[in-house]
Amino acid sequence: MKTKMFAYLALLIACGFSLIVLADNHEEEDMNKLVFPKAYTAGSVANGGKISGVVKFDGEVPEKKKLVINKDQAVCDAVPKFDESLVVGDGNVLKNTIVYLMDITKGKDFDKDAKLELDQKDCRFDPHVQIVPVGAVLTVLNSDKATHNVHIFGTKKNNTSVNKQQPKTRKKMRLSREGVAKAPEGPVEVKCDIHGWMKAWIAYVPHPYFAVTNEKGEFTLENVPPGTYKLGYWHEVCGTNNKEPVAVKVEAGGELKQDFTLKIKESK
Amino acid sequence: MKIRNYTLLLVILGMFSVVPFIFAQDTADDAEEAQKVAAGKEVYEKSCAHCHGTEGRGDGSAAENLLPQPRDFTRGLYKIRSTESGQLPTDQDMFDIITEGMPGTSMPEWETALDAKERWQVVAYIKTFYEGFKESETPPKEISLKGKIPYSKESIEIGKELYTQFACYECHGDVGRGDGTSAPTLTDEWDYKSWPANLHQNWNYRGGNDIDDIYKRFVGGIAGSAMPMFEDPAFGLSIEEAKRYTQLDNKGEMTAAEEEEYTQLEDKMANAFEILDLINAGEGDEEQRKFYEESMKTFYEKSWHLANYVKSLSPEKRPEAAIGKNALRSQYVEGELPPMDDAAWDTLKESYFPLVGQIIVEPRQFNPTIDSVSVKSFYNDTEVAFLFIWDDRTHNTSEEENEDTGKTYEDAMAIQFPVKIPKGPTSPKPYFLWGGKLAVYLWQWQASAPQEITELTAKGINNATVQDVQTDIQTDSEYTNGQYRLWVKRPLETGDNKDLQLKPGVFVPIAFSVWDGANGDVETKRVISSWYSFVLEPVPSVKRFIYPPIVALLSLGLLIGLRGFVQRRNTE
Repeated sequence: MKTKMFAYLALLIACGFSLIVLADNHEEEDMNKLVFPKAYTAGSVANGGKISGVVKFDGEVPEKKKLVINKDQAVCDAVPKFDESLVVGDGNVLKNTIVYLMDITKGKDFDKDAKLELDQKDCRFDPHVQIVPVGAVLTVLNSDKATHNVHIFGTKKNNTSVNKQQPKTRKKMRLSREGVAKAPEGPVEVKCDIHGWMKAWIAYVPHPYFAVTNEKGEFTLENVPPGTYKLGYWHEVCGTNNKEPVAVKVEAGGELKQDFTLKIKESK
Repeated sequence: MKIRNYTLLLVILGMFSVVPFIFAQDTADDAEEAQKVAAGKEVYEKSCAHCHGTEGRGDGSAAENLLPQPRDFTRGLYKIRSTESGQLPTDQDMFDIITEGMPGTSMPEWETALDAKERWQVVAYIKTFYEGFKESETPPKEISLKGKIPYSKESIEIGKELYTQFACYECHGDVGRGDGTSAPTLTDEWDYKSWPANLHQNWNYRGGNDIDDIYKRFVGGIAGSAMPMFEDPAFGLSIEEAKRYTQLDNKGEMTAAEEEEYTQLEDKMANAFEILDLINAGEGDEEQRKFYEESMKTFYEKSWHLANYVKSLSPEKRPEAAIGKNALRSQYVEGELPPMDDAAWDTLKESYFPLVGQIIVEPRQFNPTIDSVSVKSFYNDTEVAFLFIWDDRTHNTSEEENEDTGKTYEDAMAIQFPVKIPKGPTSPKPYFLWGGKLAVYLWQWQASAPQEITELTAKGINNATVQDVQTDIQTDSEYTNGQYRLWVKRPLETGDNKDLQLKPGVFVPIAFSVWDGANGDVETKRVISSWYSFVLEPVPSVKRFIYPPIVALLSLGLLIGLRGFVQRRNTE
């Protein structure tokens, strides 16, 4: 009798397992994406801690690759431009890395006054990596005497992709309808199809504990409620640590240092 | 005990199987829909899944070689819609694409293979791949076709001006052959190469080529592609004001008065864009809303003019292939044959030779970029001249080796004839792919040596040799605005038995191979035609001006003689 019960149980578990396997069929792609908590509650944080650190690059630093400007040279080639997928500074510090808390469910609110602007200047997107809260309006600037098109590759359901032409006559464009993400996702690619070398990344995030490393490779996450969290990173060519996030324990009012050393992700 | 166990199991299993239907069976409508979806699944898996994949990801077993790639239905991005930017397509949009297919792609029409009911079932099933269809409660907003401007010369003229203002040339090129400076780097959102449409060949438009279709593509964009949703670059300006602004903008130096006018127009636009942003965000007062509506009306008007202009770039319908009454007939001229730039060529009608990807021999070309080659020809007593014209979005003369493949990719063209002309229409011709047992005679041209033709003899697509004796073939060529023109002149007779010898009045088989370097064409990877034929149109004989009058005179003489004879007999 018991054996039969076990057999049924085993069958059920097997069924459930196969369902999970089916659902995770496309896990590979998600390894290159950020990890978000299922839900997040914003409120006031008392006596929060601080996480900061430096992200460094490990490996032979490739030579800076100058971008080939094949059109609109007068506007686009005035300032030399380099590939920004791997920007390594003195002391091997790595710019444009997103460092964030993967599993925080309660904490501070977004800085409502923060400017959310993506500029197109000298036929280059500035910044190269940007954090945008879910539901927030991004303003796209065109500081060039050239026509651009802002193409944001939303991939999740309801985050429809945006592809809008921005003529030189339109210096400012608020993406209040199309560009507003309904769900966390990313980072997603941003492109100007007219100038094929122009690329950037946008991460639509549900909470404010995200930082992008600066020229010195530094990041800071402030006002983190005391607790234990998974600290993650994302970098365009170095990938993520989704498989092995770093566990950090934040003390009340404490300061915590956590550095990272990243390598170029092996291609499959 | 035993029964209890089974019951538990049944309950659990039952729960699993019932879950998907609980919601569906809310109302009778839902039940009907579920039935439709189930039927659609069956049709889909039989007819669509090979390319689009069983899960609708566009990754079916046949997808690998296709470009454009089969649609990935899981992202809800549909290129051809009658709805506004960022909106899902209507059911009718999806039904129409299934019914009519997508020209220039691997998506065939399904009108003949599936009946209407089946096509609607497939629509219902495809929608299940993307949850957005379920969640959106309001139907997608359709693009209004109100205020359509009739097709006219004046409208085309205005549209032409707007083509530049809207920066269409960036991708589609100055005259619209899809050869804009951004064309080589365009990709779709799945990172596959995509090319802007050649507006002179509208039979290859994916979503139809009537003016309404073209208009919808401007206003709604082509989701997932590089084609953006357009907004008026001179928003808030009238057509006249916009024209004036462009004039001033292109001026090197402006007078003080012009400078002021320019600044005023710029401010007007900046102000209008600000209002546009407000309205898009659901803000703005009554007055601003009114201004917005007026300005949008002007934008739609401009879009209609633009659609009319784009429509005017293509012939009314795809030209008929060069057979029968459309066959290539070389025209006789006395004296020198006209060089490439001579206006005499404009007096001839082109013969149109459609081309297809070569998919018989590896490496194959499944995704051709060259549509066709058009040909004109003149001949005189000793020579023949041809003008070959074909559209290619890029000019590739690269002789550099590709690092990965070690090959060079450049544009090229080969014109193929049999060595010996078949005696009659039923006599065997050489195999159309560069011959076989029967050899072919070829003229090979490459973009890196634009003033040279090489004579080849081939007995198979991979079995061509350069002829030892090269006839003096004169060649000229040019590449402008996405179009090649290749001019070739050769003696009718060469005295070389490996060459084709030409005589007026004899139909001669002809075929083409064209390579587009930017599309990875190299060696057997190319576009080809099968055999067509051409003829040096015989000069109408001068005898037709001599014999008929003689015959007429003789008959008259005979009549008169007969009459005289009869009269004489009667008087006798």
